[in-house]
Formats: sequence, structure tokens, C-alpha cells
Amino acid sequence: MRETRRKLGAIGVAALFALWSVVAAHSYALNEIVPDVRQPANLSGGSACPVHTHQLTGTGSLSFRWSTILGSNPKAILTQDQTPAGSLNEIEQVIQQSLSVWTNVSGTSLTPASLSPLARISSANACGTDGINSICFDQPDMAFTPGVLAFTRVVTADTIGIQLGSGPASTEVGQILDADVYFNPSDSLTSFATPLALSANPKSYDLESILIHELGHTLGFSHSAIWSAMMFPFAPAPGTFTGQRPTTQQPDAPLADDDRTGLRVLYHDPNDTLYVGSIQGHIIPANPISLPSAPPGVTGVFGAHVVALDAPSGAVIAGTMGGWSCTAPGPVQFDGNYEIDQLPLGRSYKIYAEPLDGAVAPSEVSNALVSLCRNSMTDPGWPPLQGCVVPPVNTAFTTRTRPSP
Amino acid sequence: MSRAPHRRFTWHLFLASLFLIALTARATTLVRLRFPDLVHYASAIARVRCVGADIRVENGEIFTDTRFHVLETEKGRLPAQIVVRQPGGTYQHMHSHVEGAPEFRIGEEVYLFLWGRPGRQFFVLGWSQGTFRLHRDALSGKETVTQDSAEIPVFDPEAKAFTKMGVKNLRLDIFQERVRREVLRALP
Repeated sequence: MRETRRKLGAIGVAALFALWSVVAAHSYALNEIVPDVRQPANLSGGSACPVHTHQLTGTGSLSFRWSTILGSNPKAILTQDQTPAGSLNEIEQVIQQSLSVWTNVSGTSLTPASLSPLARISSANACGTDGINSICFDQPDMAFTPGVLAFTRVVTADTIGIQLGSGPASTEVGQILDADVYFNPSDSLTSFATPLALSANPKSYDLESILIHELGHTLGFSHSAIWSAMMFPFAPAPGTFTGQRPTTQQPDAPLADDDRTGLRVLYHDPNDTLYVGSIQGHIIPANPISLPSAPPGVTGVFGAHVVALDAPSGAVIAGTMGGWSCTAPGPVQFDGNYEIDQLPLGRSYKIYAEPLDGAVAPSEVSNALVSLCRNSMTDPGWPPLQGCVVPPVNTAFTTRTRPSP
Repeated sequence: MSRAPHRRFTWHLFLASLFLIALTARATTLVRLRFPDLVHYASAIARVRCVGADIRVENGEIFTDTRFHVLETEKGRLPAQIVVRQPGGTYQHMHSHVEGAPEFRIGEEVYLFLWGRPGRQFFVLGWSQGTFRLHRDALSGKETVTQDSAEIPVFDPEAKAFTKMGVKNLRLDIFQERVRREVLRALP
């Protein structure tokens, strides 16, 4: 049984803090998908409540391959070892280490055993919607315009039984069927360096940092607005890396607590007894007239960042995008509700809320917000009683707290 | 909360804010395109209104082709209607998503910096960097322009510095003047 702890400190200065901290903490966001309730309940679950997009985590169920075709003129991936075989091994080591960062977070069901052995492929066009998770360093894509370094394409099933290419059919709603990471091979001014080669190539981007970030997307993460998080939308400057390098003692060292908490929410370990704390509340306007008139039924502030700080240290532990709740059979209610889950027990927290008007704009986390609803306009034949429309993000509020009774 | 801890918390937050502001040396996975760069690289620049979208599957990939009516062209020659392709979309029971790709609502008016050739689909140059949303004040009717990437601290490899040079809540007439000035400057 989940134990709930509510230790809310007063945060009367939250609004002031928000003004000061234009680049300050926000929170992780997870990609959501609304199950297709037009399908029978045994395939869709019968509820229009959003579910997190996710990979399967059974032993060996998560597999990746990478294309050994690398750009050569100019060279896109710089390694310390210049021999062909040594260079590939060095890149592969970075990929292995980047995956290990995510599979070594305690309190999750995603473990090193979830990964099947990393495979190589010598095909030039390994990335595609084929049911196989792939990493490509030299595959052109029309989406690469000037200024785009890398992206991850994730394909998710909204019902059970969907098969993509040679991949297995989905057994869960929200299951990721295919996730491919593309690095831009066409920009002659851009290169990526392995950690071993980074100091000698200070104009290159750190391959490991960008890969860990992109792999976060393959696991179901959207962008985080926590400044120190790996899922913050922006890569470190050329010649630098995010957080700390992974070590044998701490393989997940590059991650921030926000990333770890997000992963625990995504891949909850049912046997975990430490990260089971939860904080819940509502953000409601002092004056209801300030709520949007359309769509109807909005009763709370939507799109606020609600962040939990460790009370003694002030460190950001986790946060969420508040403003909604959902109870089966759905749809989402925009009632200002927020809930921060998988928090470690035995600690005190302060909570603050702030609008999405800082370093990360609503557009940066749009998918996590706009994907909360489906309706007859987006999906013909959608049952009206399970349809909804996502209201605009409220970015013009300040906060005061009303401690829980 | 008593007053003393409250003050201490305020002070801690203030120090934390200063620390974080000092740490703005972060980059985006996007390479920053300065406004003149955006104008220079753009095949076309136009004020457009979103009128619809279609899902396409090509070579196994899912794309969203968004249709726009061209309202006003600032650079290049465009037909009355254009198609802008974005990675991702929903096809049957598969939802393909690429984080950071701009999304548009039907009826929404935006300025887009386009990359591509007429007769084929366009792409939005630099994704969030080439997307400028229009906002009309309900009372005054005045329009402002906000770049999707506004307020994002991005790294300039040449200057080796981080800046926040996005366009945010800029009056429409000033924005248009900036665009036209850069277009003229880019002429041979």
C-alpha cells in the first residue's frame, strides 16, 4: 500500500522566487497517450485517461542497435582511438555507458537485465519505423534543417495488439513500438566527441550527454524544465558535459534527482519501499473569473510547474506539470490538480508552483500537455462522453499557498 | 511557518536564483540561429494561417503535412497555400512523436521561416527557432510576435557565449521592420 506523506512548507515567497528565477527549476514531463477507447475494452483498457508511453522492462525485452556507418567527410564522431575498429569500440562503449545510466537508477523496474545485448548494423539507413530501436549517426533526414543537431522519433501504440515491422505486437497500451535516435550528419560545422576525445576537441559536442538525453526520449520522457536535469531541453556547450561522468560506483551520476524520480514514475518497481511518497494538491485561482471560458469545465490553473524541494537543502527532488486529474473512464478533468509521486520517504519537502514562463516555454513541453485529450475533432467517432479539449496553458498567475488541514 | 525560517527560505531561494542565473552557460541541441541567420537561411518567410493537416506515411515514416494559407510574404515567392512537413503524427494506432517539433492549431496565425523549395513540402527552419506565434490583445487588438524558442539560452559557437535572443512579445510592426531590414541586407 502506498504511503502518502504530505509535508508542505509554507511558500509565500514562491511568486517572488518565480520572478527571480527565470532560469530556475521546473520539472520532468512524461509523454502521454490517450488509449483508443473506440476499441474493445480488452484492447484499450476502456478508459480515456492518459497513460505514460513506455518500454517493456522484462528480462532482455529492451533492445537497441546502432549503425556503424559514420560520416567521414567531415568526420561527425570524433574518437581518441583513430583505428577503425578501435573507433567503433569507443563509440559503442559510450552507447553502452549511456544506456547503463538509465538502467542503474534504484527503485525502478528498468534494470540492466532489461537490456538485451547492444547490436551493430552496417546498414546506412538503419533508422526507420521498423519496430527496432536504432541509433544512427550518418542517416540524413528531411527534418534536419540548419540548426538541428539530433532528435529522437518515438512511435507508440494506443491499444494492444499493434505490430510494427519485425517488432513484437504491443501487449500494453502506451507501449513504445519503435524509438530511433538521429544525429545530424549533414552539418559540416558540427561534430560530436566521445568523452575520451572531448578535451582534445573542445568545439565538439559531448556525444555521451546528448545520447543520454536522447535515450531518455526513447524511454518515454518529454523535456524537463529542471535546470540540472538530463532531460532539460538543451545540451551542454561544446567541450563540456552535463552533470558528472558515470562511474562504477555511481553509474547514474549524470542524472539529476528529477530524472531519477521521473524514471521511477515511468517504471515503478512494485517491490520498492523507499520511493513511495506522494504529494498531491490543487492550484486554484483566487478569482474564478480568471479561468478560461473555453473550453468549458476548467476549474483550476492548468500547466503550472509544481516542484518539490528537499526542505533542508533546497535541492530540487522532482516536479510535475499540474492542472489536471483523471479517473476512469475519463476524460481528463482540468481541475488544477497536481501529484508528485515516487518521492523518497522520511524527508521534508517544500512545494512551490510557478507558471511556465521561464527558461522552458509551453511549446517545449507541448506534447506532454496537448496529448491529454482526444475528441471527435481529432478522432472521428470518438465517444463524446470521453472526449475533452486541452485548455491554453496559464502563464500569468502568481501563487500563495494554503497548507493542508 | 514562523517569520525567521520564512526569511531564511527567502534568502536561500534568492541565492539559489543568483547561482542558477550565473549558470546560464548552457546550450540547446539546436545550434543557435541569430535572427539575421534565420532570415538568410530561410527559403521563404511568411505570415500564414493554419487551415488543416494531413498524415502521410512515406518510406515507413509518419509525417504531418500542415496546410497553411499564405497571408503575407516577407521573403521568397509562395503560392496561396503551402504545405509544411513535420516529423510525427498519428496513423491508425501508431503515434509517432518527435520532441520539439512545432505543432499548430487550425486557425492559428504564425510567421514561419521556411526551409525547402516551392512545389515540395517546406520544413520549419530550426524548428522552434523558425516559428513565431502571433498574439492579438483582446482589448486593444494590437498584435505581438513571440518566437517558440524565446527565452531559451542558447550557445553561439562563434561568440562562445550563451544568449537569450529570442523574440518575445515584440510588436508586430517592429518585427516586420526587422524582417524586412534583414531581407534587404541579404540582397546581393
